[in-house]
Amino acid sequence: MQELRRIVGDAHVLVEDADVIVYEQDGSILQAMPEIVVLPADVTQVSEVIRAARRAGFPIVPRGSGTGLAGGAVPAGGGVVVSLARLNRLLGVDYRNRTAELEPGVINLEVTKGVAKAGFFYAPDPSSQAACSIGGNLANNSGGPHTLAYGVTTNHALGVEVVLHDGSIVWLGGTVPDVPGYDLCGVFVGSEGTLGIVTRAIVRLMRAREDVRTLLAIFDSMDSATQAVVDITAAGIVPAALEMMDKTTIEAVERGAPAGYPRDAEAVLLLEVEGVREYTERALRMAHEVCTRAGARQVRAARDEQERQALWKGRKGAFGALGTLAPNYYVMDGVVPRSKLPQTMRAVAEIAEQYQVRIANVFHAGDGNLHPNILFDIRVPGALDRVIEAGAAILRACVAVGGSLTGEHGIGLEKRDYMEWLFSKDDLEAMTRVRLAFDPQRAFNPGKIFPTPVSCGEVRRAPARIPEGLWI
Amino acid sequence: MSVASDQLIDRLTSELGTDSVITDRATLEAHAVDGLVPRAVCSPGDAAQVAAAIRVCGEAGAAIAPRGGGTAVALGNVPHRVDVVLRTDRLAALVEHDDANLTATMEAGMTLAHLQTHLAQRGQLLPLDPPRPDRATIGGIVAASTNGARRMFYGGVRDLVIGMKMVLPGGEQVKAGGKVVKNVAGYDMCKLFVGSLGTLGIITEVTCKMTPLPERALTIIARDGGSTAEGSGAFRLIDALFASTLQPSAIAVLSPRAGELVRAGGPGVATAVAVEGFTEAVDRHVRDITGMAAAAGLSAEVLEGPAHERLWAAVADFPRSREGEALVRLTVPPGAVATAVDALSRVDDSPVYVAHAGAGTIWIGVEAARAATVFAALTSVAGAQHGHAVLASAPPEVKRGLDVWGSPPPALSIMREIKQRFDPQQLLNPGRFVAFL
Ligand SMILES: Cc1cc2nc3c(=O)[nH]c(=O)nc-3n(C[C@H](O)[C@H](O)[C@H](O)COP(=O)(O)OP(=O)(O)OC[C@H]3O[C@@H](n4cnc5c(N)ncnc54)[C@H](O)[C@@H]3O)c2cc1C
Repeated sequence: MQELRRIVGDAHVLVEDADVIVYEQDGSILQAMPEIVVLPADVTQVSEVIRAARRAGFPIVPRGSGTGLAGGAVPAGGGVVVSLARLNRLLGVDYRNRTAELEPGVINLEVTKGVAKAGFFYAPDPSSQAACSIGGNLANNSGGPHTLAYGVTTNHALGVEVVLHDGSIVWLGGTVPDVPGYDLCGVFVGSEGTLGIVTRAIVRLMRAREDVRTLLAIFDSMDSATQAVVDITAAGIVPAALEMMDKTTIEAVERGAPAGYPRDAEAVLLLEVEGVREYTERALRMAHEVCTRAGARQVRAARDEQERQALWKGRKGAFGALGTLAPNYYVMDGVVPRSKLPQTMRAVAEIAEQYQVRIANVFHAGDGNLHPNILFDIRVPGALDRVIEAGAAILRACVAVGGSLTGEHGIGLEKRDYMEWLFSKDDLEAMTRVRLAFDPQRAFNPGKIFPTPVSCGEVRRAPARIPEGLWI
Repeated sequence: MSVASDQLIDRLTSELGTDSVITDRATLEAHAVDGLVPRAVCSPGDAAQVAAAIRVCGEAGAAIAPRGGGTAVALGNVPHRVDVVLRTDRLAALVEHDDANLTATMEAGMTLAHLQTHLAQRGQLLPLDPPRPDRATIGGIVAASTNGARRMFYGGVRDLVIGMKMVLPGGEQVKAGGKVVKNVAGYDMCKLFVGSLGTLGIITEVTCKMTPLPERALTIIARDGGSTAEGSGAFRLIDALFASTLQPSAIAVLSPRAGELVRAGGPGVATAVAVEGFTEAVDRHVRDITGMAAAAGLSAEVLEGPAHERLWAAVADFPRSREGEALVRLTVPPGAVATAVDALSRVDDSPVYVAHAGAGTIWIGVEAARAATVFAALTSVAGAQHGHAVLASAPPEVKRGLDVWGSPPPALSIMREIKQRFDPQQLLNPGRFVAFL
C-alpha cells in the first residue's frame, strides 16, 4: 500500500469501504468489494502499480468506466482494481491517415465529438457511449447500433500499447495493419482485461457519410418484423443500423418517453442507411418495399434531421423507460444467425411464458444480436433466480440454432459457466494457452471468461446501477 | 529424426489409405518448399484424418508443411525442415451457405474461384482478391492473410473471417468463433490463426461474411500519359477522392511497367478506381471521379464488363511469385503511399509496383539478383513512415541471408510463447514465420 501511495500519490489510492464501494459493481447485477483501488495517471505508473501489486501477490482487475454488463470489472477474487479513468487524453488525430491515438480512459463519445468538425467519426458506438471508455470498448470488443455496416471495435483497432503482468510495456499491432507476426492486437481486443492493461491505442477514424436516411416500420406481428430483417439482409441492403423493439418495449416507451408508436403494434423496426445520396435514396426505397411486402402496417421515413431524431427518440429512450414497467430489469445479450431470428424470437416468447417473466426486447436486429431485458421486482423472493434461469434458457436457445452466448457484452463473471455449452474442453484449452502465454500466473482478472468449478463466495447480487442518460 | 522414412510412410498410409500418401519422386519435387523436398505428400480426406496425420508426424518428429493451392508457398523464411507436405485438396466441400445470414462455411481446401461460382448463383460474393483464385484455397488465403485492393471497402481477411475449425499440433480438433457476425464469447481465436501461416495448427474449415453481388461494377482508369514518372497526378486524384465522401471499392496505382504487365494500356502511371453498388450510385461516382481526374491533369476512361474484370484480375494476380523474380510488400499509412512511391523511384529508376492506395499496401516486383539490396532500402522507406516491408517471395538463396519478415516485432517474446504452447515440438512449418519461429 505504501508503495502504491508512493507511485500514484495518496489521493489516488483508495482503501476505505466508503471510497472503494463505488468500485464494487459495474453495469451488471454482480458485486464484490475491492481490497484496494488505484488510479494511476500514466503508463509508467500503471507499470509500477502492476509490479508492486504482483510483488505482494495481488490479482489485478482493470477498470474503465464500469458500464460493463457481464461483471468484467468486478473484483470477484479481491485484489487491486486499477482504474484507467485518469489516462484520458486524446493524444493525436491524423486525418490524412484516418487514425486517432488515445489513452484508454477517453470516453467513447468524446472521440467522435473531437473529430466531427473535420468530417470524421469513430464508428463503434455502444449505446453507453456517453459513459464507457475506449479501454473498456477494446477489452470487450464492443459493438453498437451502427456497427452493423461498419464493424465492431476490433475492426477499428490498429494497435494497442499494453502493460503485461511483469510491468513490461509492449505494442501489439501498430499504426498500419498486417504487422508481421501473429495478430496479437486482434487477440487482445475482446480479452476482457485478462491479458494485460491497455494504456494507449491507435484506432481508425471514418469519413462522415454524405447522407443519412432513416425509416421506421411498424408491424402487427413479431414474425413479420423479423422476416423483414431477414429479407433486408437477403436483398443486399447493408443498413448502417437495423434496430428492433417489441410490444412490451413500445408500451414502456409510450408510458415513459412517448415517441408516437401505436400501442397495439407488435414490433417496430428502425433502419438507417448512410452513403452518397444516390445510394441512400435507392436503399431507402428498397427497404420501404421490403418492409411493406413483409407486412408492415406503416412505414415512416424521416424527411429531415428533426424527424430523424424523432424516429430515434423512442429507440434511445426505451431503456430508460423500462422502469415504468417494473422496478428492475436484467439485460441479456445473445446472438443468432440472422436467418434464425424469427424462430429465436418465438423461442424467447415461449421462455417468457414458461418462466413466468416479462421480457422487453430491444435489440440490434441486423446483426442477429438480441437484448431481451427481463423485467422483475427484486423484492419478490425468488424472482431474480427465475430471471437468471430464464436468461440461461434464452442463451441455450441461441446456442442451439448456431448462435453464441454474447454478441457484445462479454462473458465476464456472468456467463463463464455457460462457456462449456459453446466450447469443448479442447477449445477452451486452446484459449488457455493464449492466456498463459500473456499472463502465466493469471494475474489479470482471475475468474473471468473461463469456467470455474468453485463458485466465488465474494460475489453478491444486487440490482444493476446504471448511469443516467445511457440507452441500450 | 526418430523414425525412418519408410516407417513414417507406413504409418501415414495405414491412417489415410494408400491413395492419400504419395511418395513418387516427381510429386515430392513438385511439393518442395524453398527447394526442400519432402519425404511424403499426403491428402487427408477429413479433419479426423488431418488429426491422425499430425499425430503420426508428431510421434515421428516429422515436420509438416501444410499446403492449399501452393500459391503462397514462397511466403516466409526457408523452413528448418520439411518432412511431410499435408495438402488440403480433398477438404474442398462447401459446408453451408446460409444466404439469408450472408455467411458461408467452406472446407479449407476449396478454391476461391469454386466458391465464387457457387455464391454468384445466389447473388453473393466473398470480397477477397488473392492471386490465382482458381488455385488459391480458402484455408491458404486465411493462413497467409492474402488481402487485395478491395480491402479498403470490404475489410480484410481478418475482418471477414468469423469462424474456423483447426487441428492443433497435438491432434486436438478445435473451433473458433462461429457463424454469427458479432460474437465476443471468449478470446477471438480466429485472429490468432489469420496470417499464422500454418505455424499453430491446420485450418480445416472457415466461415466468412459474404456480400451481395453489386448491381453494377466498373473502373475509372486515369492516366498521366507519362508526364510524371512518380505519379504526382495520380496522388492528386487520390487526395481529392479521400477528401470527398465518395466510397470507391478499390484504388490501384500502377507504375508504367506494372501497367504493361497488367495490360492496363497507355503510357505513364495509371490509377484504377473500382466502383461497385447500385447503378445510380455508381453513375454518380463516375461523374465525380472523372471530374477529379481532369482537375488532376489526368485523362480518364471507363472500363466495364470484361475489361473491368480483366484489369482487376491482373491487379490481384500481380503479387504472385514469378521465376527469377522477388516481390516486396510495403505497408504504410494510406496517406504515405505517395511519399513511399516517390522514395521507391530513388531505389529503382524504373520501378514495377502496384499500390493499393486505399489500404496502404504497395507490391513491388524486383529482379532476384537485386532483391536483398532493394529489400533493405525499402525496409528503411517503410520505417520512415511507421510501416513495414516484407520480402514476400524470393528464391531460397536470397532468403537464406535474411529474415523476410524484417526486424522482429516488439511483441516477439509473446509470439514465441504462443508458438511454444501450441507447437512445442516445432512440427508445423518450423522456421518459416517471423524471427524464424
Ligand atoms: C446502458 C448500457 C448500454 C450499453 N450498450 C452497449 C452497446 O450498445 N454495445 C456494447 O457492446 N456494449 C454496451 N454496453 C456495455 C458496456 O458499456 C461496454 O462493454 C463498454 O465497452 C464497457 O466499457 P467501460 O469503460 O465501462 O468498461 P468496464 O465496465 O470498466 O470494464 C469492462 C471490461 O474491460 C476491462 N477493461 C477496462 N479497461 C481496460 C483497459 N484499459 N485495459 C484492459 N482491460 C480493461 C475490465 O477489466 C472489464 O473486464 C452497455 C452498457 C450499458 C450500461
